[in-house]
Amino acid sequence: MAKITRRQFVKAAGLGVGAAIAARLVPEDYWDSLFRSDRGSSSTASGEEKKYSTCWIGKQDCAIIARVVDGRIVKLEGHPADPRTRGTICPKGMAQVMAVYDPHRLKAPLRRTNAKGQQGTWEEITWDEALTTLADRIVEARSKGDKYLVWQKGRSKGVPFYDKAFVEASGAITLQNGAYCSDAGYRAGEYTVGRNGVLHPDFKYCNYLVSWGWNIVNAGGNKSCWIQWNRLLVEARERGMKVTVVDPSIHGSGPHADRWLPIKPGTDLAFFLALANALIAKDFVDKEYLTKHTNAASLVKQDGTILTDISAKEVVWDSLSGAAVPFDTPNIDPALTGEYTVGTDTLKPGYQLFVDHLADKTPAWAAGICGLTEEQILAVALDLGVNARIGSTITIDGVDVPYRPVAIHGFHVTQQELGFQASRAALLVMMILGAIERAGGQFIDYTPTNASEFDSWNNVTVKDSGYNVFLKDSKFYPINSNSSGIVAQVMNNPSKYDFQESELPEVLIVHMSNPLLSFPAGQNDLAESYTKFKFIAVIDPWVSETADYFADVILPAALLEKFEGPFTISNTYVSATTIRQPLIDPMFESRGEIDIYLDLCEKAGILFGSGGYLDRLNAGLQLVDPHRLALDTKPAARDIFDKWAKSMGVPDGIEYYVKNGVRPKETYTPEKYYGSIMTPAYGGLRHRLYGEALGRYRNTMQSMGVDKMYYQDYTPFPTWRALTKDLSPPDYDLTLISSKRIELKQSRSTSLPLLKELVPKQKLFINTATAGAKGISDNDQVYVESHNALTGETRRVQTVAQLVEFVRPDTVVLSHHFGQWVHPVARDSGPTPNSLFFAGDGYTTNTADQSFHVNVRVWKVV
Amino acid sequence: MVRYAMAIDLTRCMGCRACVEACKVENNTPQGIFWMWVFRYEEGNYPNSKIRYMPRPCQHCDNAPCTKVCPVGARFKREDGLVLTDVNRCIGCRYCEVACPYGVNYFNWKKPWKNQYYDWGEEGLPYRNPDHEIEYEGRLVSGGNHFVGVMGKCTFCVHRLVKGLKPACVANCPVNVFSFGDLDDPNSEVSKAIADKNHFRLQVELGTEPKVYYLGAPLDPRVLRRPLDSTREEVNP
Repeated sequence: MAKITRRQFVKAAGLGVGAAIAARLVPEDYWDSLFRSDRGSSSTASGEEKKYSTCWIGKQDCAIIARVVDGRIVKLEGHPADPRTRGTICPKGMAQVMAVYDPHRLKAPLRRTNAKGQQGTWEEITWDEALTTLADRIVEARSKGDKYLVWQKGRSKGVPFYDKAFVEASGAITLQNGAYCSDAGYRAGEYTVGRNGVLHPDFKYCNYLVSWGWNIVNAGGNKSCWIQWNRLLVEARERGMKVTVVDPSIHGSGPHADRWLPIKPGTDLAFFLALANALIAKDFVDKEYLTKHTNAASLVKQDGTILTDISAKEVVWDSLSGAAVPFDTPNIDPALTGEYTVGTDTLKPGYQLFVDHLADKTPAWAAGICGLTEEQILAVALDLGVNARIGSTITIDGVDVPYRPVAIHGFHVTQQELGFQASRAALLVMMILGAIERAGGQFIDYTPTNASEFDSWNNVTVKDSGYNVFLKDSKFYPINSNSSGIVAQVMNNPSKYDFQESELPEVLIVHMSNPLLSFPAGQNDLAESYTKFKFIAVIDPWVSETADYFADVILPAALLEKFEGPFTISNTYVSATTIRQPLIDPMFESRGEIDIYLDLCEKAGILFGSGGYLDRLNAGLQLVDPHRLALDTKPAARDIFDKWAKSMGVPDGIEYYVKNGVRPKETYTPEKYYGSIMTPAYGGLRHRLYGEALGRYRNTMQSMGVDKMYYQDYTPFPTWRALTKDLSPPDYDLTLISSKRIELKQSRSTSLPLLKELVPKQKLFINTATAGAKGISDNDQVYVESHNALTGETRRVQTVAQLVEFVRPDTVVLSHHFGQWVHPVARDSGPTPNSLFFAGDGYTTNTADQSFHVNVRVWKVV
Repeated sequence: MVRYAMAIDLTRCMGCRACVEACKVENNTPQGIFWMWVFRYEEGNYPNSKIRYMPRPCQHCDNAPCTKVCPVGARFKREDGLVLTDVNRCIGCRYCEVACPYGVNYFNWKKPWKNQYYDWGEEGLPYRNPDHEIEYEGRLVSGGNHFVGVMGKCTFCVHRLVKGLKPACVANCPVNVFSFGDLDDPNSEVSKAIADKNHFRLQVELGTEPKVYYLGAPLDPRVLRRPLDSTREEVNP
């Protein structure tokens, strides 16, 4: 193919635009603006090249190989050495080549020229002006104290070293999107079994999987690329694994479900309690695991605290000696059940309390709550119990491993009012079966490592006042998932949370995140809070909706034209490392984030010296001498990765990754993978069947006088209660849930025409019978109106109905990818369900996690 | 002589359309044109809803009706089994589209640079694939974006086969739904896939001799089902 000169481009662009009749025009300066960068031309002819990088668009960072012809990316394919994808790439990853060349990308830094709180008008400014403006604001905020600068990012890609270094060097308060994802589940995993993650199976050996929610096929699992999840699922099913899907809608996982339990949204906690009840009733209990590896035998006093000895060791009742002894006394037989007297106290083992707690939580009880039958719940319990093969072992790579080939998959079980406790309840079910980190059993983190939060969530000092803007350690949310919804509550109503107006943060940096669109209540509660910030800077490749309404300046970020990472890519059994490398020069005047932060920190005076950004980079990347960054010289991004690679023992440094893309890291051995055969077992952690600290926090919160809604879910065992949303009047007769479409990733991918044409617009999935009763036909325009059960506020959107059979009659579904108004491809595609959800009391609950359930009514537009 | 065929394992398919996107980017097919498409259907009533997926490329029939009706010999079958379109010969009469019982033919309604989602100007798509400017066995047959007014359809990625690569959809399937290769070689992936599993072909009663084999329970797209996703009209209004 002939090389095209800049002159030809400009000429062609002019002709093309002049003669155009197609719906979407490339802006007149498109081809011209490619070359405005002083960092060289994007069309430098170099023949055909094969270049390595990592995918940018998705949840994870899969290794990719780019075919680059004459300086143009022609196609991106999966890297065969990526253990997760093995040379394939998902539809988003394939289509992202168009995102690189998107004519609607930001072409230069922008400064707002109109008032905030409305669609923005902009003027282009230089990078120097933009960074200086932001740096001055950072300096000003820091000079006032440590609570005035907030930094908010979407999903961090890879090791968040350059993010963390900025946060540490600037002292910013950090907000992440985790509270909207699976953070409540992470909190449950950390607190209960000391693992950072949510529930997923050991696919290689699992024989029976209870799959909660849409994610098993449509979204993968936590810490996982979507592709890898489906590969493991398909292989496991061909091996014979059976799958029971528990979900109000069977849309995504339909063909891969052996049984479907269409549960009522938000009632999963009751379902899991009933499973526990039935398992105990049928004696499917791994007593050996419970006594050896959990606090199930620890004696609990009547005040809810665990009895300890003089050295603060928990005490159990030894059935052999008939005495209370420290739990780690050799040659004892700790009692799990019964009631014992020690001194003047009458105590019960934690397990006995659990059995008491579950006494009336039968499958028949849960059936009414969950909208299922007793038989359906009992059948799952029996499947779990029989398939768990309690007491058995299997030999893997010559090592005998306890074998419990049953698991629950519960990635987003947390996105509901009782999310934290529902996740904990699921973990307790698997603890009864002794399946935690056993072969074929229940996994939480990939490579089981002890989470520091196992201790910290057990030792929160609940504060009565003086917390930060997301109420860390507060009497409202002592275990805290750092939610933007909380920040919005505080900003909008500071006195309620004992804040003075003068204590509220003033400067916000929003990096690759679009809270207005992507977060529940983004355009309502969150938007209101954004008006309170004095200055907002956005770092993004596009003008996000958040930037459109609230940014003072926008800094254009690069996509695949930058260094980023490093990334550990693991399929849960084998791992490798990779990095993102620039495939071409940055388009337009965009820049990689590392370059942006280096310059920003320099201008803000926090780059050099001890405690500065460079110092923090050294620590974050674990650079070792002689590969540490000098603290007085600004490095290039490439040099930082070169030093990282050399510090990791790669003699060729960055060149290794330039030549190979992926570096194999580790194949996990059974001794490293399966918790109970580790040395020490489970990293020395005693899992928490009984949640003593949760009860302690409840008492403290109550004594500090907070409303019941804040402390009611801090119970030592997960406790079912009626849902706040169900206090809405009965004419709000349906529950809205949101879901993911397999081709799309949050809101960002909807602006990609290649993906947009697969899912052109929002549709409300509604059960055919329900729609019929309401006089709604396929493709009718409908209103969906949500109701806040506590405030009475209503929120309404208009969309199109699609009549289906795969959803419960009392549930409707909207996917969460729509609602944009800035990008011309994405706009006019229908509303986002996030405009219907509520943040705040009753909906932001427990560990500051967010409910994605709300009661709605639906009627036809006439 | 090799005899190309494809097997599609419906029991593995996730309906994700990674194959659709791989085809689109590889072949630079215009907006609304899908040489590979994945149908998604729902059957049965709540709570017995059944969802099924079905990828659909050109069936590369041995007895291809489309070749018979082409008045100019633009649509032809090669010895290796590929059914291709010589876009230099095609006059855009669309007889092949009418003759084909599988609905795999797509007509290029617009000038190439104006229907790539944006109007990119005459220089065209930034990520255009240079392989399509090359003739294969002396004819311009690969790629989906040459001229206004010609037909296009799946080529089994003829331009990749000459490089020893599998078709783009096959290579990119995350869950290995596809097998591709030489039907005459009993050790080829496709021969082994067909030998190992129950399979069916679409509308064999028409005598088309399709060279795409579906593995799994038979699914006849002509039987009324509820499509779960966008119609062609919604995709390309």
